[in-house]
Amino acid sequence: MEIEAAATDRSKPSNWGAATETDRDAPYTGFDRGSFLAWQDLRVVLPNFGKGPTKRLLNGLNGYAEPGRIMAIMGPSGSGKSTLLDALAGRLSKNVVMTGNVLLNGKKKGLGYGGVAYVTQEDVLLGTLTVKETVSYSAHLRLPTSMSKEEVNSLIDGTIIEMGLQDCADRLIGNWHLRGISGGEKKRLSIALEILTMPRLLFLDEPTSGLDSASAFFVVQTLRNVARDGRTVISSIHQPSSEVFALFDDLFLLSGGETVYFGEAKSAIEFFAEAGFPCPRKRNPSDHFLRCINSDFDIVTATLKGSQRIHDVPNSADPFANLATAEIKSMLVEKYGRSTHARRAKNRIQELSTDEGLQPSTQHGSEASWWKQLSTLTKRSFVNMCRDVGYYWLRIIIYIIVSICVGTVYFDIGYSYTSILARGACGAFISGFMTFMSIGGFPSFIEEMKVFYRERLNGYYGVAAYILANFLSSFPFLVAIALTSSTITYNMVKFRPGISHFVFFTINIYSCISVIESLMMVVASLVPNFLMGIITGAGIIGIMMMTSGFFRLLSDLPKPVWRYPISYISYGSWAIQGAYKNDLLGLEFDPLIPGDPKLNGEYVITHMLGIELNHSKWWDLAALFVILIGYRLLFFTVLKLKERASPLFQTLYAKRTIQQLEKRPSFRKMPSFPSQRHQPLHSLSSQDGLDSPLQ
Amino acid sequence: MRNSEATTHVGMEIEATARPSGNGSTLPGLSPLSETLWREKANSEIIGDVSARLTWKDLTVMVTLSNGETQNVLEGLTGYAEPGTFTALMGPSGSGKSTLLDALSSRLAANAFLSGTILLNGRKAKLSFGTAAYVTQDDNLIGTLTVRETISYSARLRLPDNMPWTDKRALVESTIVAMGLQDCADTVIGNWHLRGISGGEKRRVSIALEILMRPRLLFLDEPTSGLDSASAFFVTQTLRALARDGRTVIASIHQPSSEVFELFDQLYLLSSGKTVYFGQASDAYEFFAQAGFPCPALRNPSDHFLRCINSDFDKVKATLKGSMKLRFEGSDDPLDRITTAEAIRTLIDFYRSSQHSYAATQKVDEISKVKGTVLEAGGSEASFLMQSYTLTQRSFMNMSRDFGYYWLRLVIYIVVTICIGTIYLNVGTGYNSILARGSCASFVFGFVTFMSIGGFPSFVEDMKVFQRERLNGHYGVTAFVISNTLSAMPFLILITFLSGTICYFMVRLHPGFWHYVFFVLCLYASVTVVESLMMAIASIVPNFLMGIIIGAGIQGIFMLVSGYFRLPHDIPKPVWRYPMSYISFHFWALQGQYQNDLRGLIFDNQTPDLPKIPGEYILEKVFQIDVNRSKWINLSVIFSMIVIYRIIFFIMIKINEDVTPWVRGYLARRRMQQKSGAQNTTIAPDVLTQSPSLRTYVSPPTK
Repeated sequence: MEIEAAATDRSKPSNWGAATETDRDAPYTGFDRGSFLAWQDLRVVLPNFGKGPTKRLLNGLNGYAEPGRIMAIMGPSGSGKSTLLDALAGRLSKNVVMTGNVLLNGKKKGLGYGGVAYVTQEDVLLGTLTVKETVSYSAHLRLPTSMSKEEVNSLIDGTIIEMGLQDCADRLIGNWHLRGISGGEKKRLSIALEILTMPRLLFLDEPTSGLDSASAFFVVQTLRNVARDGRTVISSIHQPSSEVFALFDDLFLLSGGETVYFGEAKSAIEFFAEAGFPCPRKRNPSDHFLRCINSDFDIVTATLKGSQRIHDVPNSADPFANLATAEIKSMLVEKYGRSTHARRAKNRIQELSTDEGLQPSTQHGSEASWWKQLSTLTKRSFVNMCRDVGYYWLRIIIYIIVSICVGTVYFDIGYSYTSILARGACGAFISGFMTFMSIGGFPSFIEEMKVFYRERLNGYYGVAAYILANFLSSFPFLVAIALTSSTITYNMVKFRPGISHFVFFTINIYSCISVIESLMMVVASLVPNFLMGIITGAGIIGIMMMTSGFFRLLSDLPKPVWRYPISYISYGSWAIQGAYKNDLLGLEFDPLIPGDPKLNGEYVITHMLGIELNHSKWWDLAALFVILIGYRLLFFTVLKLKERASPLFQTLYAKRTIQQLEKRPSFRKMPSFPSQRHQPLHSLSSQDGLDSPLQ
Repeated sequence: MRNSEATTHVGMEIEATARPSGNGSTLPGLSPLSETLWREKANSEIIGDVSARLTWKDLTVMVTLSNGETQNVLEGLTGYAEPGTFTALMGPSGSGKSTLLDALSSRLAANAFLSGTILLNGRKAKLSFGTAAYVTQDDNLIGTLTVRETISYSARLRLPDNMPWTDKRALVESTIVAMGLQDCADTVIGNWHLRGISGGEKRRVSIALEILMRPRLLFLDEPTSGLDSASAFFVTQTLRALARDGRTVIASIHQPSSEVFELFDQLYLLSSGKTVYFGQASDAYEFFAQAGFPCPALRNPSDHFLRCINSDFDKVKATLKGSMKLRFEGSDDPLDRITTAEAIRTLIDFYRSSQHSYAATQKVDEISKVKGTVLEAGGSEASFLMQSYTLTQRSFMNMSRDFGYYWLRLVIYIVVTICIGTIYLNVGTGYNSILARGSCASFVFGFVTFMSIGGFPSFVEDMKVFQRERLNGHYGVTAFVISNTLSAMPFLILITFLSGTICYFMVRLHPGFWHYVFFVLCLYASVTVVESLMMAIASIVPNFLMGIIIGAGIQGIFMLVSGYFRLPHDIPKPVWRYPMSYISFHFWALQGQYQNDLRGLIFDNQTPDLPKIPGEYILEKVFQIDVNRSKWINLSVIFSMIVIYRIIFFIMIKINEDVTPWVRGYLARRRMQQKSGAQNTTIAPDVLTQSPSLRTYVSPPTK
């Protein structure tokens, strides 16, 4: 079905550019492009197998969304608005179970990756790109390769203008060290990325949170324009200002997972008035609605009374001054159930669900070819690495400084007896400590991973394309790092002369740094936050250094565990063996006691450094490359497993839960369930992370 | 139930203490709680009220940018704040509300210059800590403490020593009740791994900390930002209650909801640094209608006011028009016909000629004629010892509860030392073990101490709290340094004792009790040095990541010159040997440990027929250690390094506090003198939108 839909779209490629232009002028008329979304008896529960009751997040909701209209899902925090949005978009988290129907154009839909345009609450963008670049990379990643350059460009420009981003099109988005565009612009950019492929259905999670009134107004106004183009826009929203609220067509008011009101936003005022809670004149209707149904106000009033401040509780004309919000809420829910709004909604849903004639419009992820994705990603990633000072440039500087330090400490090392150990130590320091510095790029990599996760979730490209693109784009930088640091140290320390020895030395450093990079990638994909990532990474590197054969000779390492297998897995042991062989073989050193015969390199390596000479240094290098590829494959597997395993797990879990639920006749209701979104446990890096402790 | 009991108990206590002072002539209209709070002050000062009346007249604030240009951020503002009222400063972002707040609380940045008069009770007064309290926008609190602990530690840090403990506790409890925190009093505040109280509760805790010292004047910077409507309402309601108790409360507020707006007494509406309206909040509605911008029905008045004076809307409209989406559905809004810029101009002119403006000027003159009480109070009234003791206790509590501070490291240390222990298991006295012993010591002192970096994030969190409390004058730098040292000691001893013991006995280092003690002490000293080093770095470096990178870099270099990677005699003399290797604590640690370990041992030679090698020979010839210096001297050098780093930390903070603002101010004045000819005194709104507060004033992005 998906393929079919894609094929029909591709068969008329000329519509892509042209349709947008004509669409804008002509008012929306037909039903041909629209998406009708209806949901019936939608229930979401968070099961709890242990002690404690099962939580109902949504409780039998009915509703629908039509093309050309913009719907607001409103409610106090913890009322289930995000859950509803996730349920409709097919993005519910793994630990909840949904029952009921979600019908897209009368058909049950299965939305997977890339199934739906969903703008999340946080704007995950690459801070080093300009607005226009971001949009155009995204377009190249996803639009079909068959589209001509002009069409793509006009689509990009059209989208930028549509979202009102033309003024900041050439400005950087900004990250922790670059000042960039404002929050409202970021949000509009996120929306622009989602509407690039002309989705018929657009979901937004609190698009105005954290914005000031003008920016919020701007965002919602553009959303309204998007809707007027015949798209169906559904957005959750938290405390809209008066102007913003006036822009919404439909309103879905939730409290405690139940429908308080569903219908036209304008008729809501009437509904509340009829229910006995008229909105006072100088009030924002949405504030009034939330005031009526937000049970937190009960707690506030109770606490205020408790703190002996009753004399100053405002004596406003609130009809609910002496009525608990919980009561108001249940009155409203009941009233809504009997109202014409509910009946009308039911009829309309019936109509929509039986209407089979409509073409099911399926969204799909990227239509660009794999090569196109790879080249675009590589280019984008390279631009990002170039512009982000923290990604590689800072490290190159640190490497140069450290190399100069190493170079001066071991300056002109010579051939005396003590230089044997010094050469060894120098090699170990370079391959051990200097590669350790690669951890410095970890934060930037984490930022990039966030973008990857978002885009992956939206189905922009595949895992393989991403990994390969990352490898290709980082290649020049890693080579630059390896080349500068090896040139400095090699020439200052005066390692064994000869061009092939220099080349080996450089490649050895390059592969060490690449291995660490790949190792940190694997760590990043496994570990929840930044700090844990650094600690884990440092720990692993520490253990590898210990078993590398410098701190304890390889022959002296305890056989179980440390020698087999760890010293073979450790990149350090291969790197050091290679470096020793490269440097020492063929040299002669002064003996400990003057007058004794000179020590040759072979003797030093086998007897003093405990390394066997049964394979050449190039084999050691090959082993490093094998490890490098191994880590990349591991990274690939981890990402794939995370994606594959979770849906499978989810189905099993859902089945089991439903069985469990059938055994229980009823489950108790929880008063209020704190939403995960409003108190997120941020990773440390995003939380404060890069702020100054003292400035 | 329990809460209400507690409440009544406290209430009784307060009544009991209030009775003796009740001579009838004290402050009218105060709650029993506040009466207690101000009883002693009211008696000790001159008879009369001790409330704060703040007036400001023709207040103009000018800032200098890095390119030497000057801007007027505030222009000719006049207004007043009286006890018992809650004044809200409102305006779009960049309108100068934070600047006004900073100017009134004398917290302006050094590159801002103020003209006009600010009078407190009719006198020119520099507001010192204690008279006025300032609640910042971000809540820097210690996440592992409960609400009650946070408040009571703060009370002990600042209230005078001679105040009986029961009084302090009563004060703490009554503050908790006053701020409506009784339900969450025993919940932890929460940090990155502990889920704690909500944002609104955090905000109220921050306010509670500031009202502990009974300030008469309370400034708040956007107390409701980031809160949902119920919490915002609660916070504002509490502020209003605080005002009703006779305090003067001034808060900047961004986009209040309808309920919150109804709680304001006075409203000060600003747009691009000029007064749009100042007067009763309830009269503003009328004012806008008279000026020709009536608020439509079913609209939040504050939304309407901000809509009228927010010039960003012009830009929004222009862009929307540019995007060929002229789908503004017709509305009866007068603002659709004229631009916001015009509206602002009309309103400012209208205000100037209005009776509100006239009334305000008159009132200001009236208030400033009355020379009232001089309100003065120092920062903390607690003694230095009390501060140090309380801080140590608090910090210890935090460290023992924060999993990431030491416990995680303890686990990592044990794991790492077990790894080391198994690798060098029973190292012996063979020929190969000579080098192995050396590398074991260097690994322990190099990489294991390196792991101390793991506690840096928690320390950075600590520093933020310190920063806030320091700015509010809660305690001195010395007290902080001492308490941090003392409270960390037990943990560091535990960590080094456990890991040192594991390592020592698994590897079987030189036997003998004193050798063992030396090893553990040396490890302890090294770890503490790293801690102190990281503290010093944290005081210099702007952010967390840079801190870790620089810390790692410095330690890497120290390790390089420690005498293991390159033998001491081979280290190049300039720079690396003198002075680097002597600065490096690894150098001293290794010198000490090598002596401790090798002296007195006898090692096998390469082949059994050769003579055995004594440890002293190895020390001198192989490791090139100065054997004449006792190992205990090496140890004491490390200990003195701890002291030196702590002193550096102390000095850096002092420099940050005293020298930096002075330099910034000096530079700003210099720049202004250079450019004094060309004065550009209009404000560019687009510049200010990026940095509403002057504290973070940065030069505008070049277009």
